[in-house]
Amino acid sequence: MSGSAGFDRRQFLKVAGGVVAVAGGMAWAGRVLEPIAASAAAGPPDLYFAGTDGWIYLPPTPTIPPYHPDVLAPNPFTTYIFGFRNVSGMTDTQRQNQKNKAQHSAPLFWVNQFDPAHPVDFTVQLTNLGLALRPDLFDAHTLHWHGFRNVIPFFDGEPTGSVSVPAGRNFTYVYRPRDPGTYMYHCHVEDVEHVHMGMTGLVFVRPLQDGNTTLYPSGKYLYNDGDGSTGFDREFAMFLSEVWAEAHWADAHIQLPEWSDYRADFSMINGRVYPDTIAPNGSIDPFNPQYDANGDLVAPAGHEQLQYQPHSSLVTCNAGERVALRFANLGFREQAMTITGIRMRVVGRDATLMRGRDGTDTAYGTDTVNVGPGESYDVVFTAPAYQGPGEYDTYFLYNRAFARANNLAPGGFGGAATEIHVYPNGVPAQAYPNDWGI
Amino acid sequence: MITNGGANQARTRAPRGRRATWIVTAAVAALLAAASVATPAAADAPPRVGIVCTTSTAGSPGQPVFDLTTTTGYISLPDGNTAFMWGYSNGFDSFQHPGPVLCVNEGDVVTVILHNTFAEPVSVMFPGQTGVLADGVPAAPELDGSGVMTSLTPTAPAGGGTVTYTFTAANPGTYLYESGTNPEKQVRMGLFGALIVRPTLGADYAYDRADSKFTPSEEFMVLLSEIDPYQHQAVEEGRSFNMNTYHPRYWLINGRGFPDSIADNGASWLPTQPYGALASVYSYDATDHPDPGLARYLNVGTEDYPFHPHGNNGTVIARDGRPLEGPGGEDLSFEKFAINIGPGQTWDVLFKWYDAESYDPVTNPVPVTVPSLANQVIGVFYSGSPYLGTQEALPPGTQSLNQCGEYYIISHNHALYQITSWGVTMTGPITYMRINPPTPNNCG
Repeated sequence: MSGSAGFDRRQFLKVAGGVVAVAGGMAWAGRVLEPIAASAAAGPPDLYFAGTDGWIYLPPTPTIPPYHPDVLAPNPFTTYIFGFRNVSGMTDTQRQNQKNKAQHSAPLFWVNQFDPAHPVDFTVQLTNLGLALRPDLFDAHTLHWHGFRNVIPFFDGEPTGSVSVPAGRNFTYVYRPRDPGTYMYHCHVEDVEHVHMGMTGLVFVRPLQDGNTTLYPSGKYLYNDGDGSTGFDREFAMFLSEVWAEAHWADAHIQLPEWSDYRADFSMINGRVYPDTIAPNGSIDPFNPQYDANGDLVAPAGHEQLQYQPHSSLVTCNAGERVALRFANLGFREQAMTITGIRMRVVGRDATLMRGRDGTDTAYGTDTVNVGPGESYDVVFTAPAYQGPGEYDTYFLYNRAFARANNLAPGGFGGAATEIHVYPNGVPAQAYPNDWGI
Repeated sequence: MITNGGANQARTRAPRGRRATWIVTAAVAALLAAASVATPAAADAPPRVGIVCTTSTAGSPGQPVFDLTTTTGYISLPDGNTAFMWGYSNGFDSFQHPGPVLCVNEGDVVTVILHNTFAEPVSVMFPGQTGVLADGVPAAPELDGSGVMTSLTPTAPAGGGTVTYTFTAANPGTYLYESGTNPEKQVRMGLFGALIVRPTLGADYAYDRADSKFTPSEEFMVLLSEIDPYQHQAVEEGRSFNMNTYHPRYWLINGRGFPDSIADNGASWLPTQPYGALASVYSYDATDHPDPGLARYLNVGTEDYPFHPHGNNGTVIARDGRPLEGPGGEDLSFEKFAINIGPGQTWDVLFKWYDAESYDPVTNPVPVTVPSLANQVIGVFYSGSPYLGTQEALPPGTQSLNQCGEYYIISHNHALYQITSWGVTMTGPITYMRINPPTPNNCG
C-alpha cells in the first residue's frame, strides 16, 4: 500500500480526477472478479441514461472568434458539448445511435420520497457511449446526485471514492430518497471539464405529503410542510448553467483551456438562452420519452436548432394560481434571478424546508434569488390578477447580473431570461413539470 | 507548533519521482491515523487530523499572550510550483502558512504582540472583536500627516518594531485575524490566520447554546484562500504590482491544495504548510456517537467560495462568530449542501453522516448487481466493496489507498474552475471526509 515504483504524483492527480485507472488497471483482462449476488436486481431500471458528446445551438452572433460559433459544428448547431441522454426503452441499436447526440441540460427527472411503509427503490442505469469527436479521451462517466444525503460512495458517483463507467459499460445507481426538495445531478469524472461541458441537470424529490388536499387543494407540495405553505398548482424547473465558448471549442479541437481564465459567455436556463427559452418543449417527460425511429430526439416544431435542448422555461399559469419554481445552479458563477412585478417567497433551499431546528419559520419574500454554484432554491409565487388586454400578461424572469442576460450583445435581453405568462383562466393542468398545459 | 524546516534553510526540491513517492506514502500514513484530536498541550505534538490549536504558553489563566512574528517563506502548490509568501509565525518560529490557529476561551483578556521584521509597517486586525487596544489605546486607523488613512489599525513600525494588541474575547466563535495595513498586498501575501474562541459552556460546544454541541475529535478547519502568482513574484523581487491585473490562479484550503490537503497535519514534506484538511469521522450512532462534527469555515479570499461537502447537508449554526438565533433565542440555523461563504465571512457548520441504509454484504446487500470491477474504472480510494468496513480484491495492478474498508466522501469548491492550479485540474480546495468503520475495525 505504500507508494510503489511507477506511481508518481502526476498519475496520482489523474487518478484522483478519475481520468484513468492506475497504470495496469484498465489494461487488465484476466480473471473477472465475480459479481456479488443481488437481492433485488430484477426488472428494468426506472431510468436508463447514456453519457456521450454532441452539439447544441447558441446564438451565432456576436461571434467570439475563433471559438464561437465552432467551425466544426454541423448546421444548425454552434457549440460542442458533453451530455446525458435518456435512452430508457430503446433497442440496443437505437441506444448506440445516440452517440454524439447528447442534450443540454440533461433530462429533468423526479422521484417520490422513499416511503418506509411501501419501500420502493429508484434505479438509474448509466451507460457510456463514448465521445465521437474525441475518442482519444476515453473518459469514464458517473452520475453524481448532488446533495443526496447520507449517500454511500458506491452510489455517489465521485470517481475517486468508488467506481466510474468506461465506454461500453454500465452501472446502476440505487436511490432511496428520504428528503424531498430540489437537487441537481452531474457527471463527477473530471468534473471541472465534464460539468462545464454540459453533463448537468436537475432532479427533485416529491414529498410524502403529496396527495393531501386538505392543506392545499392541488395536493401538490414542495416539502412536508405540515401547513400547506409549499403547496402549488404548477411547477417549473429552472436549471442554470453556463458556456465559456473557449472551453467548449478547446474540447472539440483537442486543446486545453486555462480554467483560471474562466468566464461565462452564455448563461442559460434549462440549456437555452432567451428567447429560445420560451420556445416549446421537446420530449421532456422522462418516464414517457418520445424519439424517432433511430432513437433521436425530435426538435420542437419550427425550432430545428433546439433538437438537443428540449427543455422550455416558459411559465404559463392562470391568475391566482400558485406557481413553484425550482432553481438549481451548476454554472461556476452566482446567478441573480429576478422577477419584475411578482414577489417570490423562498420556502426551500438546498433541499431543505426553511425552518430552524425548533420549527421557526425562516421563509422570506424577495424579488431576486441569488443562486450560487451548487445551490438550489425553491420559491412559490401567486400569479397576479389578470390585467389585460392581451391574451395573457407577461412578466420577465431574468438574471440581474446583466452581462449574463444579454448573450454579450448590447441593447437587448438574452441569456438567462424567460417569460411568465399569466392568463385570466383556461390553462389546463400540467401533465409533467415545465409543461405549458396549453 | 510545527517546527520542521525553516526560513533560513535552503529550500531544496527532491527529484519529482522521489518526492511523489513521499506524497503517496504520506497520504497512506495520513489514512492510517484515524486519531483522536485532543488539543495538544505540547505544541510540538499536533494531532494528525483536525484543528491544531495554538494556545498561549505565556500570560496567566484568563490572560493568554501570543507573540506573532512576520516572516517570509515558500509554500508548495499542486502543480509543482512554489509561491513566495509572507506570514505570521507563532512566537519566533520559522515561517508557516497560514498563521497559527489561536485558541482562547470566552472572556479571556487576549494579548497579541506583533514583531515586525519587514521593511514596511504591518499590523493585525481582529474582525469581530470589539474594544481592541493597541499599545493601551483604542485601535483606531492610522493617518498620515494630511489625514489620509495609511492603515486600518495601528502598526508595528518597519525594521523590528512591535505593537501590542489587547482585547477581551467576549463572544465565542470562529474569527479571522489579518493584516490591516496595505491589505490588498499583505493579506494576499499570507498575513492571516484563524482565531477560535471557545464558549463558557464547554470545549465541546461551539457557542453557549446546548444545540451547538459537537464531537471534539471531529472538529475541523476549512480556511479558503487564493493566490495570484504574479503578485507574489513581484513582492519577492521588490517590484510594484498593478492591482488591476490581479487574477488568482491557485485556490487553497488550509494553505494547501489537493492532494496535499489530505496529508497529515505537520506532514514532513510540507514544512511550511502545517494544516491538513482531511475530516476523519465515524458514522452517527445514538449511543456511541450521537454528536455531530464541527467544520469551521473561513474565507480570506476576494469572492464567494461555494464549498460543497458531499455525503450530507451541514447545519449552519453561526456566521461571523454569532449563533444564528432570533431575539427570543429562536433557532435560525439552516441546512446547506453548498456552503456559499463570502469574503471575510466565517461559517460554523455541524455535520454528521448516517449509515442510512445499513447495507451489509450478508444481511442487507445493495439492491443491485455489483458489477465486475474489471468493467469499471476504480477510484484510488475505493475499497473494492460497497460496504463500510469491507475490502475486496482489486484487479491485479490496481493501486488502492484504502486501508480498512473506510469510505471517502469528497468536499470541494463548486466554482469548479477554482479546483485547478494554473492548469492542473482536480487540485486546489478539495478534501475528503473519511468515514471510519464502526469500532472494532481493522484500521489499526
